[in-house]
Amino acid sequence: MTYVLNRLLSVILTLFLITLVTFAVTNILPGDVAMMIMGTQSNPEALEGLRQSLGLNDPLLVQYGNWIGGLLTGDWGTSLIFKKPIAELLAQKAVASAIIVVMSMTIALCLAVPLGVWAAVHRDRWQDTVSSSTSLLGVSLPDFFWGIVMILVFARWLGWFPSSGIVEPSEDFLASLYYAFLPSLALGLGLMAHLTRMTRSTMTGILGQEFIRVARAKGLTERTVIWRYALANAIGPVITIAGLQIGYLFGSIIVMESLFGYTGMGWLTYQALLNRDLPLIQATVFVIAAVVMITNLLVDLLYVLIDPRVKLG
Amino acid sequence: MKRREFLLNSTAVMGGSVLMGGFALPALAQDTPVKGGTLIWGHSETTQNLDMHQTGTASSGRVLQNIHSSIVTVDANLKVIPGLAESFEVAEDGLTYTFKLRPNVKFHNGATMTSADVKYSFERCKDPATGAVNFEVFNNVAAIETPDDLTVVIKMSAVNAPFLSRLAENGAGVVMPVDSGPTQGTNPMGAGPFKFDSYEVGTVVKMSRFDDYWEGPAHLDAVEAREITEPTTRLTGLRTGELHMINDIPLDRVGEIEADAGLQVKKWFPLNFDFINMNHTFEPFQDKRVRVAFDMIIDKEALMQGALWGQGATTASPSFPTDAAYNKDLVQRPQDIEGAKALLAEAGYPEGSLNIVFKATTNYPYHIETAQILVEWFKMAGVNLTIEQLTWADWLSQCWVDKDYQMTMMNFFTLWESDFLYYSVWNSKGAFNYRAINDPIIDELTEKARITVDDAARAEVYKAVQKQIWDEAHDIVLWFRNGTIGAQPKVMGLDTVVHPNGSNLNFHKVWLAA
Amino acid sequence: MKRFKTTKGLIGIVLLTLIALIAIVGPMVIPPDAATKMDMLARRSPPTWTHLLGTDQLGRDMLYRVILGARTSLEIAVTAVLMSIVLGLPLGLVSGYFGGWIDNVLMRLVDTLLAFPALLLALTISAVLGPNVQNTIIAIGIAFTPYLARIIRGEALKVAQMPYVEAARASGTTDGMIMLRHVLPNIMPAVIVQATISLAFAILAEAGLSFLGLGTQPPAASWGLMIQASRDQLDVAPWTALVPGAAVALTVLGLNMFGDVLRDILDPKSK
Repeated sequence: MTYVLNRLLSVILTLFLITLVTFAVTNILPGDVAMMIMGTQSNPEALEGLRQSLGLNDPLLVQYGNWIGGLLTGDWGTSLIFKKPIAELLAQKAVASAIIVVMSMTIALCLAVPLGVWAAVHRDRWQDTVSSSTSLLGVSLPDFFWGIVMILVFARWLGWFPSSGIVEPSEDFLASLYYAFLPSLALGLGLMAHLTRMTRSTMTGILGQEFIRVARAKGLTERTVIWRYALANAIGPVITIAGLQIGYLFGSIIVMESLFGYTGMGWLTYQALLNRDLPLIQATVFVIAAVVMITNLLVDLLYVLIDPRVKLG
Repeated sequence: MKRREFLLNSTAVMGGSVLMGGFALPALAQDTPVKGGTLIWGHSETTQNLDMHQTGTASSGRVLQNIHSSIVTVDANLKVIPGLAESFEVAEDGLTYTFKLRPNVKFHNGATMTSADVKYSFERCKDPATGAVNFEVFNNVAAIETPDDLTVVIKMSAVNAPFLSRLAENGAGVVMPVDSGPTQGTNPMGAGPFKFDSYEVGTVVKMSRFDDYWEGPAHLDAVEAREITEPTTRLTGLRTGELHMINDIPLDRVGEIEADAGLQVKKWFPLNFDFINMNHTFEPFQDKRVRVAFDMIIDKEALMQGALWGQGATTASPSFPTDAAYNKDLVQRPQDIEGAKALLAEAGYPEGSLNIVFKATTNYPYHIETAQILVEWFKMAGVNLTIEQLTWADWLSQCWVDKDYQMTMMNFFTLWESDFLYYSVWNSKGAFNYRAINDPIIDELTEKARITVDDAARAEVYKAVQKQIWDEAHDIVLWFRNGTIGAQPKVMGLDTVVHPNGSNLNFHKVWLAA
Repeated sequence: MKRFKTTKGLIGIVLLTLIALIAIVGPMVIPPDAATKMDMLARRSPPTWTHLLGTDQLGRDMLYRVILGARTSLEIAVTAVLMSIVLGLPLGLVSGYFGGWIDNVLMRLVDTLLAFPALLLALTISAVLGPNVQNTIIAIGIAFTPYLARIIRGEALKVAQMPYVEAARASGTTDGMIMLRHVLPNIMPAVIVQATISLAFAILAEAGLSFLGLGTQPPAASWGLMIQASRDQLDVAPWTALVPGAAVALTVLGLNMFGDVLRDILDPKSK
């Protein structure tokens, strides 16, 4: 329990650190949101007026203080490019992204674990080669490639899925899943490779161990030995990877969300960064960082639960 | 594709647009318009702040064209014509403007437009605290008077000949209801043909017909502008029928959509003009001979075929071709690599001695293609060109603001008004003079144009400006780029969609065949 | 089974040697401007006798580009991954081995890096340091470090609690020696798996970065840049993605076959 509290405390500390670093880095970046809004229509006087009206001329510390203060009191401020309350934007976009993150991870695990186990059981035989080749194909071409292939195959040629768009789950839950499916599938293919390799690798190690030989000697069926004993012991590292990939996922959803016009958190962060929308950058980075760190905390805890040999320091 | 085909295509476009004025093509469909239906438009860009005064991006302007009306507007030949004002008058001395407003113009909130709304809108734009992109339009405005509900009198402190033309764009000339300013960013409201319903950030803008529109109600019930920034996805949506129309067909795919009998394509130009910039503070470019030589290295027609896939028309002048000020006598320098080499050697830069960094922004992918083709020609002329790719933010801060570059290229949209164009871009004090050009002749001419009230005389002054820019090779003007719309056959009235500024889209007269 | 293992390793080695050879010999045999020479009359040409692997949107020969791009891509990927190992290995090893407050502090550092958006990192490096290959390597290397550190830490944590490590500790072996002699060899398999996968990601990461200005600057060729350029023409010219994609796939396949064998050789458990 103290461990969990400690970790939570350090999560908060790290989050604070991240907001500070993000704020500093964003201020190092050349250009500001006023320049981005006006683009090649800007003249120095108008730019100055816009900066004033956006509050960009406040001292940096005041800007940062205002933001942190607002965060604590539940007022996340307003996006400077979209002119919308950030809290409202985040609520909407976070749900959209949560759907594809969960869906793509589920797809990836459902494909990767059996494939990895299959490869490990038939280690160094053709099954192994097939398994690693298919999973490696997934990482040899970038996410957008798989995304466009999905659009062409499932939307244009087969007409089974919409080529783009998004539906809010509160409006129609099933439709929201329907719209999220293609981007999730494309993301899942990218994630799969890593998970398959990890499953194969840890399974191979476990299958060579003493207790498996004992289990087999006891006359348990091969199925029970592999799925019940071996996988239970191998799943820990796989989950660690899966947890780590949540962070990676928030990077790759940027591409996929723009590709499918499925605008969630990744897209929002990208827009915020490209347009130097400071309050929005802070908010999106904060939320994503919080999700990533809490996921990693949960993964660490899960690891302990699954593998009782690991003691907490 | 054959080069000859390329050439034929582009001449056809050129001829068509010059003759018909690009915008005024008569509708080909003879059927009477059908009322009703929702037009699903695949919009190429993300809409940002919806406050007409505060937005400088083409994407927001494109959408807001349907929600707002301006006090005056322009016809296809860029002549100022009545808008919300049914008539306007400029005093002899050019210091007083009198607008007579149309009676019974309704805003979307049901209120009737009066002179107070005009005064409110213009003063809001003028106030630096608003952060309006076009606030400098009102710089010389001394007072805005409203003698009665339908009369607005604007008093200027100094002559500003282009004032009226500048009011023809929504950025400055828009009329919004009194006190609606604070909510314009989230709930834009005006006197346009469509009412704003909702905006889901990054996803869709929904608008519905405004029945009391002063030019008569639109045919469509509603317009849904779905934001689909990925070209392949947008094309797929059009092909599967999920979208009725898309703007900005990728340049390389126009031919393919045109060849598709099941779809229609609307092309026009200029969407924008492009030019290559040389930083005048960079030593080699202070020598006119180097600039001229660089101009001579480039085969503009071949470059246009290469980078735009033929979707444009080369030009030596950046004025809109329909404008009286367009200097038709200017011809681009033909490619002459040997001549360029000789000129460079004469200027003290023999083969292999010039190493130039060309900064291009990834925001316009065809700029990267252009740069790559240039590298090959410059290599032939003994100049080593290196490309640096920049994001839009980096380009703006490095090239536009800090003038920290040697060579780059840029495009400008909607700069049809000559003063806005030539003063801003080429006057030494111009706000868009990021090349640090300092030419006393151009300065004098552009100042003179501002106080030349006679239209024909002013056009001549601007022709002289264009000649000077070309003579000195201050920049290398390349081409006008085509704008494109792809649509299902059932979308009617596409010829009325494009605003004369080449960028904005208006769906007032569009309808969907049954 | 034994034979298959060696064949697999052999295939892996042959593949890698072949690719390395192409990357090294290619630029010596092919004139350097073959990758940038444009044939405007044959843009997006599918594979033909003149252009064996087709051409791209500017009529440049894909075969020449993929060969001349090999070196740049491999340089970027290998250096970036090495950098992430050099940074991540000690971090993860020390953290996992010692545990306790050291682990806590180091892992929070890693978490910060992990949660800090890679996109912001790339944008900053590109804008502040300038877009070139060297800065691309830095961006990828830093971005990959926390992943590696976390995985190594997880493995080290497990190994550190093994009886033989306890035994070594009891016999008075120094921590440094234990880490080097007992822990490191046991975590190498995981490092190798992670590194081989990371190489693929590194090659592709360059593709994404070129959109942010980083990466190889055109018109020079690299696999990443080629793949990025294919994005808007996939449906009309699929070879523009498939050719560099196949190059990446073969490299990764070779690395993994080789890596698997290496892993088995190094893994003390499977002996």
